[in-house]
Amino acid sequence: MQPINKVKVEFLSKSSNEAFARVVAASFVAQADPSIEVLADIRTAVSEAVTNSIIHGYDEKEGIITMACTLYPELVEITIEDSGKGIEDIEKAKEPLYTSKPELERSGMGFTVMETFMDTLIIESSPGTGTRIVMTKQLGNG
Amino acid sequence: MDISFKRDRNTLVVLIEGEIDHHTSKDARDRIDSKFIMEPVKNIIIDLSKVSFMDSSGIGLITGRLKKASSIGGTLAIKKPSKEVLRILKMSKIDSMIELDA
Ligand SMILES: Nc1ncnc2c1ncn2[C@@H]1O[C@H](COP(=O)(O)OP(=O)(O)O)[C@@H](O)[C@H]1O
Ligand SMILES: [Mg+2]
Repeated sequence: MQPINKVKVEFLSKSSNEAFARVVAASFVAQADPSIEVLADIRTAVSEAVTNSIIHGYDEKEGIITMACTLYPELVEITIEDSGKGIEDIEKAKEPLYTSKPELERSGMGFTVMETFMDTLIIESSPGTGTRIVMTKQLGNG
Repeated sequence: MDISFKRDRNTLVVLIEGEIDHHTSKDARDRIDSKFIMEPVKNIIIDLSKVSFMDSSGIGLITGRLKKASSIGGTLAIKKPSKEVLRILKMSKIDSMIELDA
């Protein structure tokens, strides 16, 4: 499938960039004229993935996060990538309510939110190398 | 994000305006907890009617405040969540532990 448009942004793993990433993804997807609900779902999923890179990937230390959004005729693909510590057990990480950082008042619902709000979710990760999240969302006929 | 407080007898009413994510929830947590200690209250109501965005960080924020209130025999309730906010709350099952429209 031929992409219609693509953006790629790189930003520091600062928590203030969580809102930045949501706005960028939503304004990029807005050109396809999706419903308000679809935009809200994308904003939430992006927020979860970027927050995970900041808190878990980089342990709230400085690192680089890359977000790429690719628009196809009927869907958008969003990739969020860090070069942080990686995930040892992806199946366990995906379980609802599982969090490795309960002391930070994390709920362990991030991956469940991404899975529920997007149509597909792929987690690629290896310890010491980093994590890449690839999500797609159908945009309807807008 | 803006937070304002009101006291109704022994209940602290917290109005949150804006976006709740990991970035803003740290500040919200500190401000609510210090107010909760300072005021002669044991219950918390969090008014979410002016929250325009919330991700799973909001679940942690609310669950954490529920624990604070419970630890002194109080309750926590949520007021007027939007449809989107309610969807996140229901996912976490905290809707079975707290009143969702006080
Ligand atoms: N980018 C990442 N790098 C390293 N570990 C991660 C990353 N994303 C998620 N994880 C791991 O997966 C767990 C579950 O993530 P999530 O469902 O978002 O819950 P929470 O963020 O509330 O802990 C995290 O607690 C963490 O251990
Ligand atoms: Mg998370």
